[in-house]
Amino acid sequence: MKLQHTLGGLQGLGPVDFQKKVFVEKWETRIFGIHTAMMALSTHLENSIPDYSMDEVPTTFKDIWTWADLRRGAESISPFAYFQFRYYEKWLGGITGFFLEKGYITQEELDLFITKYLKEGNMEELALPSKQEDAIDQQIIKYLEEGDSGRRETSSEPLFSEGQSVVVKDPDCSDHTRLPGYLRNKVGTIELVYPDSYAYFPGPSDHLQTPQVSYSVKFLPENIWGKEYSETGSVVYADLFECYLSNL
Amino acid sequence: MTIPGDEMFNYSANRELESSAKVKALEALLIEKGVISSSSVDKILDYFETKMGPFNGAKLVAKAWKDAEFKSLLLKDCNAACEKLDMPTGMSGAEGEIMRVAENTSSVHNLIICTLCSCYPWPTLGLPPYWFKDPTFRARSAREPRVVLSEFGLDLNPEVEIRVWDSSGQIRWWVLPEQPSGTEHMTEEELASLITPESMMGVSKVVL
Repeated sequence: MKLQHTLGGLQGLGPVDFQKKVFVEKWETRIFGIHTAMMALSTHLENSIPDYSMDEVPTTFKDIWTWADLRRGAESISPFAYFQFRYYEKWLGGITGFFLEKGYITQEELDLFITKYLKEGNMEELALPSKQEDAIDQQIIKYLEEGDSGRRETSSEPLFSEGQSVVVKDPDCSDHTRLPGYLRNKVGTIELVYPDSYAYFPGPSDHLQTPQVSYSVKFLPENIWGKEYSETGSVVYADLFECYLSNL
Repeated sequence: MTIPGDEMFNYSANRELESSAKVKALEALLIEKGVISSSSVDKILDYFETKMGPFNGAKLVAKAWKDAEFKSLLLKDCNAACEKLDMPTGMSGAEGEIMRVAENTSSVHNLIICTLCSCYPWPTLGLPPYWFKDPTFRARSAREPRVVLSEFGLDLNPEVEIRVWDSSGQIRWWVLPEQPSGTEHMTEEELASLITPESMMGVSKVVL
């Protein structure tokens, strides 16, 4: 487990930066858009619940790209690098790395274009290439409107019931987890058994390959941090997949 | 010192300029190679400016304040409630497939966080602001929510229970804030104009 997997509860960090903007630099909007387009063009959508016909979309993108892939990139790096970079800087690094590694682009091409857009320490006012493909944009909007729900019909009975005490497992941490580190080995109570089961994205995310029941689990702060180190009058709820829980 | 993983993010001192050039180079190459269309990114950004944003959440909250039946549906099944109103197509789309709403009252205050990343209900609130993604916020809000809220300018009465919701699974959570007193006569549109994204994540209240 790395620091970025167990951020909750770190102490002595100073004030929060209460920046209300979604993007602080214009370039950040572009990498957000590229990532979202990749999610909308991901080949795995062929098997998603909405009726996507990915074979008919005239894109050369032929890979799986989901939140899990983006997160895997960010979570797999050293924490000493992770915290050096702003949110969208990590996206830019990870996504560029993906396209280079998969051979969609080469480093030489990228360097050539960077040189083209940078002149004497300033951005050149050059337009992007014009190559309009309406069917790609239609699939992107269809994805935004119809999404990629992980909800599946229940295949198994829930192992835990509402009101039951459970202890959070402490499994080996892969490059991407949905288990907040500060809850590992902690005792909580099942607040709610969510209906049906939930599939996570395809690919090697820890123990989440098969659809499973998910729970809202309630934690008292004294059971997380210890009584004398807790704020009074608060509780923490987390949505946890069944594979992360065990009987007390 | 060389840090493992650092080479992916090899920025120079002039990092904003370099990032601007790098992302433009990347977008240009992806267009030339037929991965995306030349208007793909603009279409996505326009979608979040005009169709999916905090104005949708504000509309739902204002309706819930005026209509008790709608409010109970919103709290029971947010996605079903969205279908009852004249909302844009896609309220159960990307990052809104399964949404739940936690209700603030005079005795309970809800705060939505995501300690692992930045899970946020796109259709109702749009894209997450920087404070929500700030590692310091993610770290401290899990442990000392009352102090963090106070730093945001929200001093809660000690008797008010704070419920912190860490969005670590499939649900995208948001908050139904309390209606401020003195607004009972207002129309839904007038009420909606008071409602901020921060109030719908629980770091502020709606004020007149």
